[in-house]
Amino acid sequence: MTYDSSDELDRALFALPLEEPPSELRGSILTATAYRPAPPFSAWEAIGLGVISAVTVWLLAVVAMGGAPLFFTTLGTIGRFTADGLSNMYALAWLGAGVATALWLSLFTSSQSISLLRQRFDAQRGR
Amino acid sequence: MTTNDPADGELVTMTLHGHPEAFATLVERYDRAVYHLAYRTMQNVEDARDATQEAFFKAFRSLRTFKPGAKFSTWIFAIVYHACCDRLDRRKRYSNEELPERADATPGPEQQAIDLDEARRLRIAIDQLPEKYRTVITLYHLQGRQYEEIAQVLGLPMGTVKTHLFRAKEHLRKLLANTEVTES
Repeated sequence: MTYDSSDELDRALFALPLEEPPSELRGSILTATAYRPAPPFSAWEAIGLGVISAVTVWLLAVVAMGGAPLFFTTLGTIGRFTADGLSNMYALAWLGAGVATALWLSLFTSSQSISLLRQRFDAQRGR
Repeated sequence: MTTNDPADGELVTMTLHGHPEAFATLVERYDRAVYHLAYRTMQNVEDARDATQEAFFKAFRSLRTFKPGAKFSTWIFAIVYHACCDRLDRRKRYSNEELPERADATPGPEQQAIDLDEARRLRIAIDQLPEKYRTVITLYHLQGRQYEEIAQVLGLPMGTVKTHLFRAKEHLRKLLANTEVTES
């Protein structure tokens, strides 16, 4: 066949089957992307753990340098400040308002459209 | 794709909103076409496989830069095309020898003995095209007659794409008319 006309060549090109990829290719792509194991901690969890670790090290250093009385004094001061903050009605009211607003925003923003997409995706995958 | 299937853009949105498994559907939709483009550009199975993996990995990592309303296929083809260009540059830089016209191993005598059917004849002719024509013909095959998208993938003006395509087809026709189109 000599493909004298452009249409003939176009038809032949579009009828050309795609190259068959190596069998393991899709698996290796999926393992590196969509099905990559999630990291054990999210960024915020890692930050939280870092803060807790730093405080622990600091408290241990306090104990090592000043002995048990200084440790308990420090712990007592931290506890007293926390208790003072939480016993204040204004502080509690603002804290409650902040949590309620965050919850309300998370219910009425992007989560709805995502759940619809999710339903369609599940339906398509037959799950 | 049926009407219930999520569009590519929706799958991107889902992936970005914490459902990475949605990206698997995009991989299933495009891995063959992406590999095809990589293979036609690199003319080597190993390099094509590596470029395909690299392209999907890069796409997954930079999914936030995907513009809403853009075509995912154009985007992923552009990524794999640039990955192939980088590999070809490296190959040229580190090779003292002149690159062969075809990087693939030559087929054995038993392969040569098999009569060529039209599809194989066409593939061989495409492989014998210069790189810029080969890529434009491959994208024409993958993207259909959508010149604008081919231009986006290659980063070339649309007029240049049309000229390349015209010349590629002329070249291809000459190769196919020539009885010397063989697997050598």
